[in-house]
Amino acid sequence: MSEVEETIKRIQSHKGVSGIIIVNADGIPIRTTLDNSTTVQYSGLIHQLAAKAKSTVRDLDPQNDLTFLRIRSKKHEIMVAPDNEYLLIVIQNPNAV
Amino acid sequence: MFIYAVSSVRPLEYVILQYINDRETQTTALLVSDEAVQSYKTVDEAVQTDEEPKRKLRLAEDTSGQLANFLRRTEPYIIKQLTNNLRSRAFDGYDVDLEDDSTSVTSLHTLTYPSLQDKFQVTSLSWNSTGSVIGASYGQQEHEDWCTHRSVMCTWNLDRTGIVADKPDSKIEVDSCLMYIAFHPKNPAIVAGGSFNGEVLLWDLSREDDMLIATSGLGQDSHQEPVTKVYWITDAKGKKIYLVSASGDGKIIQWKIDRKAQKLLPKEGFMVMTQSLPRQMKVKGVRGDREIGVTCLSYHSEDRETFIVGSETGVIFKCSMYSQGPPAGSHIVSSIPLRSPVTFTYNPHHGPVYAVECSPFHRNAFVSASMDQCIRLYSLLQAQPVLTIEPGEGYVHSATWSPVKATVIAATTQSGNLLIYDLKQGKTVPVHNIPASSNKEPVYACQFNPQQTHLLATGDGKGRVQIFKLSSKLQQVSGKETEFLGNLVNVTAE
Repeated sequence: MSEVEETIKRIQSHKGVSGIIIVNADGIPIRTTLDNSTTVQYSGLIHQLAAKAKSTVRDLDPQNDLTFLRIRSKKHEIMVAPDNEYLLIVIQNPNAV
Repeated sequence: MFIYAVSSVRPLEYVILQYINDRETQTTALLVSDEAVQSYKTVDEAVQTDEEPKRKLRLAEDTSGQLANFLRRTEPYIIKQLTNNLRSRAFDGYDVDLEDDSTSVTSLHTLTYPSLQDKFQVTSLSWNSTGSVIGASYGQQEHEDWCTHRSVMCTWNLDRTGIVADKPDSKIEVDSCLMYIAFHPKNPAIVAGGSFNGEVLLWDLSREDDMLIATSGLGQDSHQEPVTKVYWITDAKGKKIYLVSASGDGKIIQWKIDRKAQKLLPKEGFMVMTQSLPRQMKVKGVRGDREIGVTCLSYHSEDRETFIVGSETGVIFKCSMYSQGPPAGSHIVSSIPLRSPVTFTYNPHHGPVYAVECSPFHRNAFVSASMDQCIRLYSLLQAQPVLTIEPGEGYVHSATWSPVKATVIAATTQSGNLLIYDLKQGKTVPVHNIPASSNKEPVYACQFNPQQTHLLATGDGKGRVQIFKLSSKLQQVSGKETEFLGNLVNVTAE
């Protein structure tokens, strides 16, 4: 239990990280460092996007699989690490001074 | 009711009278008292923002117990990507233009109020809190004595489809020239104004009849000179919103609104005095407690107690709400104690300062515009300006920061032009130089719309308000602008 919290804290304290959300296979957040409405928004949308990305990769080559997804926008970068049971979402602002 | 003339039908009369009695009891109480309760909405809104954290997010339970393993596997990779991102220069200078590329600033509407017959000029503009209504105050610059003009404040709602350029949606008549107006930052119907006679007024545009809800009156406690600026500030905790006014008599007063008595009562006051002037500007023989007229003021975006004041002498002061400066001279009569708020003095302009504004993005930058025909960028920490821009177009009547892009400044000049500078693309040449008035009339006011960020309003000397649509380049934020501004403003120890 504490190892999980420590890991989350380590990632959160990295420079530029605005938040981190861990989502389960059903798209429901199980850990988060952001506020409620943002968490709900991110988990719903990113879960769908990661599923679509995974199916795209597998459709192109059935032996391939999605390992990492990064979305870069004007204000920040969203990094998604997928897994069978979980999804780790980290939001970072690379321009953080 | 004509039955009264027929005296033989007496018994019926009584019946009818009873009907009348019933009707009288049907009149309901006036709803005016309800409106007074509604006016306390400003306090309620603050409370509502506190309720959100109480709603708990129900996180799902982790059933498979593999969370620790998952994190152990992914953490090193994530950390590596995070550090790479911070060091990466892959996206430097990569700007994607996905919206339709309009590179010019075009005029959308020209709003006028024909009854003023071009005799009045626009003294100030203000957008309301939702960004859909623009309000303009009118006045005349030449006054020989006490102001006897009857002036108006007009508002136009730009979101209405049938907007008529020469019929304002609401007009409020004022019995002297209005020098400045400011809409409430949260309530879209409340607007405060300062008049030439020194009165501070408060209106509620949602009322049907008399829109004036409070006034400071014309006594000892109000200003003795024209009010140059009214400003809404939020207190340190971000809950309460106060009204502050500044005037040519050197007083900066924070007001308390008494709805029942319909009066504005002074809560706290400051007086800017000659003892705060830099040494080279002090005149021998003048006492230190003579007042200096305040022409503009701007509160700091992060630090709620610091504010910047520009004066008629050209000097810019940094002030603090909690400063314990020397009190005002004994010749000033006031019901609240007045003291000097000045904590630091900046290198002065060579003429009265017409506008100062603190940057909404960087905590150390502010811009000032003055009658000495230049725009200066100052750092809060040093007396010398960081940058001086001379457009060469006459007096600069106003300067304001863009609410979206940290390096964009808009300024208006005496020659009738609207200048838009982007400090990242050139510190001396504006990116846009557009005529903002019909025949080279000086343009006195300019305001960005904080909600609909593609709109900018200017007001000129003939009473015309122009609404401009900004180019998409001026709204695209790349994230590096605040850093650029910070580098410009950083004080180097030399």
